[in-house]
Amino acid sequence: MSSNTLTLAPGHEPVYLRILGWMRRDLRGTASLLVLLAMVAAAVLAPWIAPYAPADQDLANTLAPPSAEHWLGTDDLGRDVFSRLVHGASMSIYAAFLAVGIGLLVGVPFGLLAGFLGGWVDEVISRCIDALLSFPAIVLAVAVTGAMGIGLTNAMIAVGLVFAPQLARLVRARTLVVRRELYVDAARCFGASTGRILVRHVLPNAIQPVIVQATLLLAVALLAEASLSFLGLGIQPPDVSWGAMLARAYLYMEIAPEQMYAPGLMIMITALAFNALGESLRVALDPTMKSR
Amino acid sequence: MKNLDSQDSVIVEGIQLSRRHFLAMLAGGVALGALGNPLSALAQAAAANGGVLRVAAQANPSSLDPATGGSGSDHVFLYPIFDTLVEWDYATLQPKPGLAKSWEFKDPRTLVLTLEQGVKFHDGTPFDAEAVKFNLDRSRTDVRSNIRTDLASVESVEVTGPYEVVLHLKAPDAALPLILSDRAGMMVSPKALKEMGERHDRNPVGTGAMKFVSWADGAKIVCTRNPDYWKPERYAVAGIEFTIITDPATRLRSLMSGQSDLAYHLGGRQLPLIERAKGLQVYTDSTIYCFQLYLNYSRGPLQDVRVRQALNYAIDRQAYVQAVLAGAGEPAYMNLPKSHWAYDPEVAKLYPYDPDKAKALLKEAGYGNGVKLDMRGYNDQATIQAEEVLLAQFAKVGIGGRFTNGTIPEMSAAYFARGEGDLILSAWTGRPDPSMAYGLMYSKNAYFNAGRVAPPEGFDEALAESRATDDLAVRKQALAKVQRLVMEHALVVPLAFRMDIVAAASYVQGYRNNLLGKPKFEGVSLKKA
Amino acid sequence: MNRKAKMLYRRLLQAVPIMILATFVVFSLMQLLPGDIAVTLAGENASEERIAEIRELYGLNQPFLVQYGSWLWHAIQGDLGSSLLTGEAVAETVSRTFPTTLFVVVYAIVLSVLIGVPLGILAASRPGSPKDSFIMSVASLGVAVPNFWLGMILVLLLSLTLNLFPATGFVSPTEDFAGAIWYATLPALALSTGGIAEVARQLRGSLVEIHHSQHVRTLHAKGLSPAKILWKHGLKNVSVNLLTVVSLLFTKILAATVVVEAVFAIPGMGSAVVNAVLEGDFPLVQGAVLAMVVTVIVVNLTTDMLYTVLDPRID
Repeated sequence: MSSNTLTLAPGHEPVYLRILGWMRRDLRGTASLLVLLAMVAAAVLAPWIAPYAPADQDLANTLAPPSAEHWLGTDDLGRDVFSRLVHGASMSIYAAFLAVGIGLLVGVPFGLLAGFLGGWVDEVISRCIDALLSFPAIVLAVAVTGAMGIGLTNAMIAVGLVFAPQLARLVRARTLVVRRELYVDAARCFGASTGRILVRHVLPNAIQPVIVQATLLLAVALLAEASLSFLGLGIQPPDVSWGAMLARAYLYMEIAPEQMYAPGLMIMITALAFNALGESLRVALDPTMKSR
Repeated sequence: MKNLDSQDSVIVEGIQLSRRHFLAMLAGGVALGALGNPLSALAQAAAANGGVLRVAAQANPSSLDPATGGSGSDHVFLYPIFDTLVEWDYATLQPKPGLAKSWEFKDPRTLVLTLEQGVKFHDGTPFDAEAVKFNLDRSRTDVRSNIRTDLASVESVEVTGPYEVVLHLKAPDAALPLILSDRAGMMVSPKALKEMGERHDRNPVGTGAMKFVSWADGAKIVCTRNPDYWKPERYAVAGIEFTIITDPATRLRSLMSGQSDLAYHLGGRQLPLIERAKGLQVYTDSTIYCFQLYLNYSRGPLQDVRVRQALNYAIDRQAYVQAVLAGAGEPAYMNLPKSHWAYDPEVAKLYPYDPDKAKALLKEAGYGNGVKLDMRGYNDQATIQAEEVLLAQFAKVGIGGRFTNGTIPEMSAAYFARGEGDLILSAWTGRPDPSMAYGLMYSKNAYFNAGRVAPPEGFDEALAESRATDDLAVRKQALAKVQRLVMEHALVVPLAFRMDIVAAASYVQGYRNNLLGKPKFEGVSLKKA
Repeated sequence: MNRKAKMLYRRLLQAVPIMILATFVVFSLMQLLPGDIAVTLAGENASEERIAEIRELYGLNQPFLVQYGSWLWHAIQGDLGSSLLTGEAVAETVSRTFPTTLFVVVYAIVLSVLIGVPLGILAASRPGSPKDSFIMSVASLGVAVPNFWLGMILVLLLSLTLNLFPATGFVSPTEDFAGAIWYATLPALALSTGGIAEVARQLRGSLVEIHHSQHVRTLHAKGLSPAKILWKHGLKNVSVNLLTVVSLLFTKILAATVVVEAVFAIPGMGSAVVNAVLEGDFPLVQGAVLAMVVTVIVVNLTTDMLYTVLDPRID
């Protein structure tokens, strides 16, 4: 297992060789990375890949089974399911990254401050984290979405705010360890400001578990998008996401059950890829795994 | 505490059955495929057993007190518990006698009600003229009453005999009899109100065929037969048990898997399923529940009547009904459906589907290159689907823009109270008397007139005229004038009337839909086929 | 024992600010909601005057802190108020709906353990074998599947097609336990996939770790049978890990019930609280959040207590 480690510290091999080496050693990680890259490519190239515009209706041909013209059939308004799936990729992936981005942006600084400053700052931040983590995340997400207005971006900001305390707790724990390290003391002796120490010395050394956690949270965010869209709080027309497609398919569950398969599978595959990548990163980045 | 107990006892019956089946399955090692049968057997057994009608209901009521509640979906629960002074004909909504066995306008400002005798409230107190006066005065004046506007035309209520009440009016109001078929006519026991106060909201006491037993929010409402009902032949079931399931697909599923006997307010897209399912019957009838675009004509492009007319021409209502309601709706060209007594076929001809005319009107109004509207709606999937169809139809004539969606309280507050947005996709749930509806939607300071713009000239006069007499022919003429003014000025974009789709197990007999679209369960019985 | 009692006391004391903070956060958020419950209360006959009157009637026009303070003051005295929309006492709503939700959650956790533990043991019996990788791949699917989607598929297959389980509804376990299990099976199954996966993974992980540990290797060399070693020396470690997973699962599954309850029309607290948030019915939301916070705190406390029982080194 030790050969599986991807060292971030500068080594002797060129970077691409090291990455190639890692890819050869970790097939699962590579596969998930490839799946995700394919999703991103589909998202970016959607207008060229999709045979139809995602909102083009054909009311004379609704809920049609797969055919040569419509590879995955049509939906309740006669729109091409495949095209919507491809266009949905961009929104779903955007949603996942937005949520995790917000989570990092809010959670990391608070975690750093709490862990590094300690004392009453830590006490206040930690109690807030406890309070926020003590009731189901979705209640918080629904309340925040409701307060900001219904829509995909707001819903994902809400999910990000739900992630923030989890990430803050993680960063705080790492910071508590890192701040006792020699190089931090050294920097302090040389008169570096708190902000500088945090950004230049503590953050880079506390970030590895955060990267892993953030990757895993991408999967959670994807599932959260689907749930919130299902509750009618997510994406609004004419935009389309996989969660929105599922929510619509639910209306036709008994009449056209095949409508819910494709978007559900896409969510599952993508979430699976994020999870697998996260696990691979955990192995690759975690120095303590070397011993196994 | 008493309520909970009695509810439990009702549930116990059903549960013991299910346990028996479950244990049978476990012990007997029944083949998996055969397990389907116990379910329907369970349903039939329960139906035959208690004779209790189990209804899959659409929404939790806002209150079970007729005066303090406010939601149009409450009536289904209120009708069995409360009788109304006046009732309506199921098919046309014309008024007919209820607790008031007759009524008469002595003059346009004096309405005399003659009451049924020998009727008792559930708490044993007699129903009489004093009780009517108490109820009407309470509904008119109590701060908690949500129906004070309904009775705004009443100056005073006078008891002229033990079973005779006179309503003295501020202005002629021929709509009153039908108003008394709604919340305002539901009679509550004065004793119960005095004793319970606000608690009556959750412990209703009326004269109806069903006595209230219990209400668990968002879950269940249980009623049991009133043994002393004054028209015993009217209700044949031993009780009604409402299970509240907000999602229509789930409502139907509960019927199909035998947990309910009847489900109402189903969607058109469920019709093929109901027809395919064995042992179900379906009732499909038009209602006055109207899906429509409310317009705010005080702001933006919609100030121009031509743009509003263009909206009306731009919509292919037939296609809308097909796509959004799966064909189970009546295209709406005015605020009343074909079968209503006040329907005017001439007004209904004003806006055929004509995209070219729409484009021409927009061009005339200076929007040759298209117009963008700020549109509002609700965030449920059915609304979103309707929005998608509308956006596609609008795009064909050059009307663009987006829908901003929110929850019902959020969007209603934003659109109707604060005047945000150009239009909102919503619905009008309907009132027994059309003059109530027009007044509430188009009068100058009406809440549902988001722009608070004065109605077209002649509207107020015609509306007053429609209330001046109880001669239906004269009223119909006046209401046609009102409706023509509304549509010529394009104050609204009617889309479709909802069909009430009710599905029931085959052993449910005697159910009928009504034009108001708020199911009543009179005459329903449970019989094994 | 005295030290343990002290710790318990301290933890309980810490719970109080958390509860106040949590309800305050939710209350503030609800103030920001653009919806106006007065509009809903006014109903079909809404008018501007009526809405203003209702605000007055329900004290909705009072300053935010006054409203919160008054709620808190009553809550401390044990009065959680009643729903603005329907007037049902919040305590009644919570005590009716929360056990329903808890039943499904606990059922899902039991399923997670019952299915996850054998899978984990099976996978760990030969780390790196095809059997191991197959089980672990299935487990990763369990984490990636959207619960409510799985719920929909289960309803479609097991309920509407095969008629094995009811599609909707709930039966109270105190009335009829077998019936309750029957009704709650599909929802619990839909909720448990993530749990099964995590239990299996964690268990496999700790079992493999034990295998590799120096101590166990020595015992192995001494000729003890693997089963005996696992039983004597692995179990404590494993149970501590399992306990951690289960307590973490609790909040996760509790959150997931919100959507799954909607799919199965279960009259639980999850769906009630989401509706209440969106409608602006704050007394109900506050009561529900309080109940959830208390439960999560109790679960965490119990877990900590169990740690000390299972592993005396932890204090």
